[in-house]
Amino acid sequence: MKSTWRLGAVGFVFVAMFGILTLQLWRVQVVPAEDYVAQAEALQVKSVYTPAPRGQIVDRAGRKLAETRPAFSAVVDGSLVPEAAVEDLVSLLAAFTGLPADEVAYTVEDARTRGDRRVVMADLDNEAAVYLAEHREEFVGVSVIPVPQRTYPYGNLASGVLGYIGQPDPVDIEEGAKHTDILGKAGLEAQYDDELQGTEGRIWFQVDAFRTVLDVLGEDFPDPGNTLILELDIELQEVLEQALTDGLELARTEYNPDGCEPGSEEDGTEDKGCPVRAVGLVMNVNDGSVLAMGSVPNFDPSIFVAGLDEQVYQALPEGALINFAVTGQYAPASTFKALTYVMAMEEGISPQDVDSVEEEILCSGQLAKPLGEGSQQVFFNWTREDDGLQNIHDALMRSCNTYFWELSYALWDEYKGTDQENLLQDWARLVGFDEKTGIDLPTERPGIVPDRELFSKWADEDDPRLDPSRLDFESPWFGGDLFQAAVGQGSMLSTPVQLATAYAALVNGGTVWQPRLVDEIRTQDGDLVREFSPTPVRVIDDLSAATVRALRNDLRRVVNDPRGTAHSAFIDFGEDLDQVGGKTGTAEVIKRRTDDEDNVIQEAVTTALFVGVTPIDDPEWVVVVIIERGGSGGGIAAPTAKPILQFLLDQPMTEVAPALVAD
Amino acid sequence: MVLTARRTEPVTLLQRERALRPDLALIVSYLALSGLGLVMIYSASAPRLLADGQSPTELVRRQLIFVVVGIGMFILASLIEHRTLKMLAPIAYVGSLVLLIVVLYMPVVAGANRWISIGFFRFQPSEVAKISLILALAATLAGSVEKTMHWREVAKSVVLVAIPAVLIFRQPDLGTMLVLGFVAVVMVFSAGITWRQFAFLLISAVVASVSLFKAEAIEEYQIARITAFLDPTADVANTGYNLAQSKIAIGSGGLFGRGLFQGQQTNLSFVPEQSTDFIFTAIGEQLGFVGATVVIGLFAVITWRLLVAAANGRDRFSQLVAIGVAAMLVFHAFVNIGMTVRLTPVTGLPLPFLSAGGTAYIAMSVAIGLGHSVWMRRSPVPVDADL
Repeated sequence: MKSTWRLGAVGFVFVAMFGILTLQLWRVQVVPAEDYVAQAEALQVKSVYTPAPRGQIVDRAGRKLAETRPAFSAVVDGSLVPEAAVEDLVSLLAAFTGLPADEVAYTVEDARTRGDRRVVMADLDNEAAVYLAEHREEFVGVSVIPVPQRTYPYGNLASGVLGYIGQPDPVDIEEGAKHTDILGKAGLEAQYDDELQGTEGRIWFQVDAFRTVLDVLGEDFPDPGNTLILELDIELQEVLEQALTDGLELARTEYNPDGCEPGSEEDGTEDKGCPVRAVGLVMNVNDGSVLAMGSVPNFDPSIFVAGLDEQVYQALPEGALINFAVTGQYAPASTFKALTYVMAMEEGISPQDVDSVEEEILCSGQLAKPLGEGSQQVFFNWTREDDGLQNIHDALMRSCNTYFWELSYALWDEYKGTDQENLLQDWARLVGFDEKTGIDLPTERPGIVPDRELFSKWADEDDPRLDPSRLDFESPWFGGDLFQAAVGQGSMLSTPVQLATAYAALVNGGTVWQPRLVDEIRTQDGDLVREFSPTPVRVIDDLSAATVRALRNDLRRVVNDPRGTAHSAFIDFGEDLDQVGGKTGTAEVIKRRTDDEDNVIQEAVTTALFVGVTPIDDPEWVVVVIIERGGSGGGIAAPTAKPILQFLLDQPMTEVAPALVAD
Repeated sequence: MVLTARRTEPVTLLQRERALRPDLALIVSYLALSGLGLVMIYSASAPRLLADGQSPTELVRRQLIFVVVGIGMFILASLIEHRTLKMLAPIAYVGSLVLLIVVLYMPVVAGANRWISIGFFRFQPSEVAKISLILALAATLAGSVEKTMHWREVAKSVVLVAIPAVLIFRQPDLGTMLVLGFVAVVMVFSAGITWRQFAFLLISAVVASVSLFKAEAIEEYQIARITAFLDPTADVANTGYNLAQSKIAIGSGGLFGRGLFQGQQTNLSFVPEQSTDFIFTAIGEQLGFVGATVVIGLFAVITWRLLVAAANGRDRFSQLVAIGVAAMLVFHAFVNIGMTVRLTPVTGLPLPFLSAGGTAYIAMSVAIGLGHSVWMRRSPVPVDADL
């Protein structure tokens, strides 16, 4: 009996084991019971987001430019696809959707690594949606969810303004977007994404561990996005885009009777002389509302709705996705003379040989001025020959460079190096050049108004935009630069929307309006959410009414006077021609080059510009047309603007036809 | 307890009748656990079966058959004479080894070959092996004397354990291997091993396990289960899922539970294998700490009765059988319940009498039947039951 201790020891160990179990049970069950109950309940509920229908975008008459219709998408939930099922699922899905297997495999793998849902195929037709829903067991982890689809009933029209939507990129994801979200990526879709998104709904299910839905516990219905009501008029937009298309076509045939393709620099097919695109907009000069805007070639936003196809993307012309009316920066060229004109009148600057701008001087074919930097430059007027005696009014009508250079010379000679040196630039900045207009679109650029300060900064920063030879001088800013600036060339750059804003301010008496596309935001039920009233950026109080009147009249003469640079373009305009004013511009973008034997290597390439204002007695609208590398302002841009102005004045529209090369 | 061989004394008829009186405490506990098992299996399986369009009583009806068969086997085992049993021990041992070899050539089910199928009857030879090892060890160690155990007997015991252990390891079935080890240690200890021998055995065991790991002979999933046990939050979705879900379910039971058939977690199938290995989770969730403690208490009662039987065993063979059965029962209960509260790794050991499953239930019934038989044939001479 001595050895009973062994059995006792075994018994003791057994008792200890049961004791430990009981203790641990006490710790797990009794001590923190509340916490586990909550955890247990959370596990039994699964919620699914139901996407909100994206808000509509309508034009000023309520016509739907972008709307949303109900549709279904197939999504794969990565957390529900086991490794072993991947291969079968991919081949099944590829066969079912007709998508390439590697693409499907990528989506499935991506969903699995992230453990959440990815869209396999958007906008399923009814038959496919029903089939998928009925064959859930075969398509492991795939479900069909309602994902409303965006549609753009007007196709390409206003695409630059509307923009497009797309799936979130890594940056969006970092900022909290879900992979199944659809976000605005460009244009108004991006600018007003928060308004358009709406609030997604959520459905709570009670599920078991196999995620079989046992019961629907509740639902928050999605809140559709708000409606954007635009100032834009889709009919005018159609007129604008048709005119731009015709104008671009005209420019191309003028360049080469067989037409041309601009090609691309990358693959060596570039034809530098071929007109690239046409850009335009129509704006109300009295409140900044944008009635039409765009560039051609453009795109159909619906190609982005189901995910952009690589082939479709490759087939898009270069820059088709960009709204050049806000993003493109162009030398305003002679259209800028209206600003120089106003500056001279207001500041009392006149050519040195005369006492007032009302007196005439010779518009010579070329001009040489001692500008003091050792660079005795010769400047040529576009006419190359003398153009007769002109005062400032004639000079604007005839777009006489020499006259405006004389003005700049007078300015330079009198004020260079003083605080008055920037009189011209200050006026330019007053009317909105050199700053973003604040239009409600992303990707707007500010343009450039050059002056001594900017060039010094460029010199300090070795900016490639500055010719290195200038660094040898005390200051890199020359008198010749002011000459260039006075006629909108050199380093001067402006966006089309800036040009419209500036012209609006000059002809409306001095108010710089912030251009705006959206007038109101309403809920889907029509309740007003936000109203955008016209916003003046700046009011130029001391702009004299006389100057404004004179400018309007001279703009009218550009179009109406037989010697005006745009006259031939408007010859068949119709009866209200006297209500049309405008200014042509021709910007040299590529210089003519010859080799040693005077053979032409490169013809000069110019961008054609026209800014129209109508009705000129009491201006309402400003129209900007720019044909990039299109030729001359009078010959190409003015004829392109003609039908737009005709439409604005309720005139029958006439064909976009070539006019005399002028400016 | 007397561990020296007893002289067989003549037993009167009266004494024999008294001796054959069954152990009511053990039988009541055994039946209570079995009954509770049926209820909990129904509770844990019915919702899922219903959802799959099957009869909700499908699983519980099958288990009922096993329970009936098991009780029959318990009675049979209780009636077996220990002398017969001792004679049967070598046959049972060799037979179970054969079955363990055969099973390795059977089709793989769930990543392991643990099943032998004959027609629609399937059973796990490893369950049989546990019992035959107890018998074989008891027979081998019956001759040894306190503090005089020979190295030869130690070596024999090691070989007896090693052969089935290796075969079971090949299946692979880590849990059963551990059962064999635990049972062997308890039996060898009770049989009077010296401290030096005991230390030697322990060191050898450690060396053997380390070399197994080194040789990468242990399957990845087994390592994964053990690492998941060490840090269950690391990988909640997969390996740790069982553990985390189970602990949440048990934890939500609280003191009195959510009520029978009210187990949200277990009824909604969040806890995997809830009618088999994780049945205790359903008990913990639905019956709370009180219910869970009652279950542990019932196991403790059976264990106590087996040890009392051992203390009163007629001979050393019987005594060692009862101790071995008790060790086997305790180890199963400890590892299984411990796993659901994250005390022990997931090893796939069923909870005796409660987990759904035929072979395990019947084998465990036979085992405690053998222990019960020791009680029924206990020494007529009162021994100092100082346990």
